[in-house]
Amino acid sequence: MSKVGIIGVGQSKFVRAYPGSIREMVFESFKEAMGDAKMKEKDIDATIVCSAPEYDKQRSPSGVFAEYLGLNPQPTFYAESLCSSSTTGLRLAYSLVKSGLHDAVMVLGFQKMSEISAAESQERMGRGADIQWEAPFGTMMPAYYAMFARGHMAKYGTTPDDLALVRLKASKYAVFNDRAMIRKELTMDAFTAPNPLGNILSSPLRVGDCCSNADGSSCLIVASEKKAKEFSEKPVWIKGLGSASASVNMAGREVFYSLPAATEAARQAYAMAGMKPDDIDVAEVHDCFTIAEVLAYESLGFAKPGEGPALIRAKETYKEGKIPVNVDGGLLSKGHPIGATGGSQVRTIVLQLRGEAGDMQVKDPSIGLVHNVGGVGLYANVTILGRE
Amino acid sequence: MSQQNIFYPGALEEKGGRLVQMGNKCRDCGKTFYPAVELCPFCSSEQVEKVPLSPVGTLFSFSVTRVPVGRFKPPIIGGYIDLPEGTRLFGQIRADLKDVRIGMRVKVETGVLWTEKDGMEVLGYYYVPCEAEGGGAE
Repeated sequence: MSKVGIIGVGQSKFVRAYPGSIREMVFESFKEAMGDAKMKEKDIDATIVCSAPEYDKQRSPSGVFAEYLGLNPQPTFYAESLCSSSTTGLRLAYSLVKSGLHDAVMVLGFQKMSEISAAESQERMGRGADIQWEAPFGTMMPAYYAMFARGHMAKYGTTPDDLALVRLKASKYAVFNDRAMIRKELTMDAFTAPNPLGNILSSPLRVGDCCSNADGSSCLIVASEKKAKEFSEKPVWIKGLGSASASVNMAGREVFYSLPAATEAARQAYAMAGMKPDDIDVAEVHDCFTIAEVLAYESLGFAKPGEGPALIRAKETYKEGKIPVNVDGGLLSKGHPIGATGGSQVRTIVLQLRGEAGDMQVKDPSIGLVHNVGGVGLYANVTILGRE
Repeated sequence: MSQQNIFYPGALEEKGGRLVQMGNKCRDCGKTFYPAVELCPFCSSEQVEKVPLSPVGTLFSFSVTRVPVGRFKPPIIGGYIDLPEGTRLFGQIRADLKDVRIGMRVKVETGVLWTEKDGMEVLGYYYVPCEAEGGGAE
């Protein structure tokens, strides 16, 4: 069986408001990934553009980018699954290469959320949930995840300070990540009101439990085994892919203390890779909220159900721990430009597996995992990558 | 008199001079569900009929949002309510914050959810505490 590899990764700096156009913003990650893969525009057989379109002013950005980046006349098209859009793009790129249709496919994720006001983006984000039966009553993402935090607390006795530990870990590593938006190490004092991070946003979540909107782009170049070996000295191979969905309307979810789509995606990815949670050396998980990282530990089997908080309390997800998670700052510190986020997570794991993660480097990892969730567990993609 | 509209046509129907929340009941498997979709989510039967929903339910989970969301001013209490029919739905809870807890009994009320800029009143449902009254999910 021929393998599919990732041979180029790039990411723009994630910022509150990118001063240029989306073309220039995308060019930053494109240029880095192309340099990394040592490829020219003609070497890219197809491009998949990923974003959440509700924030985009430009309709159908794929064509605009192909023109700007010199990728005509190769095909280009769009993939969307809210916050997990770019790992959905990766899944499509894998299948395009695996099928033999293309040898090299680019996955270009982006979001420029600053083009609309924070209030407007919050309202649009809420529209990623059920606009017919939930949004009319005043919902937003933090309110949904808050209900999952409350569910986890009621079921397992998790506390707000357990959740805060996730943010403290993220902040520690963001200091080393030059692409992160918020690069200041925090202590528990930051969570004590009247500090702004200590204010309740949607109970029981505090402001510090939530990631920030950001502008940014990410770029991945996926290649066939032959092409990967031709261009790259250190290709990173796609070992396992899992993808699942769950009801949009939370009324359709049985429990509010886990995300079944993520658990199912993890099961598929482990099965495809022939691996188990213990085999993972480093992971990137979708910590859009602190509770989401705790839920991820449990979905991925790093902790048993209900034991996620114990894992962070014991610092087992720190760089020196049993399973380092989000040692690049995570969404909480990097910022969360929706369509670019999954690609940024994959980039971090690729750099880790190549031993190029600098001060964020985990000791000699051979297998990495990316957990990327869209909506409140509406979509989930889990990807396992390896050096061999 | 200002113009009025229901937030989603058919979600509420007028019965005996007041608005009542409507679900669908499946004639084949006997289950009731909300929203009133055309195909039974339990057995895929098309043999469904509109029925009024139980007015009293139990609060499954909730959050209190402290920032404005769209047209709503904080604090916004939103929660999922389990009805005795076995269906779960989302709505605002209009109550004193200190009284809201998981498992509490709540009762539906219908009325104005918000007023549009042109004066149009949008009608819908919300929930209020009703500890003393019976009929909730057991």
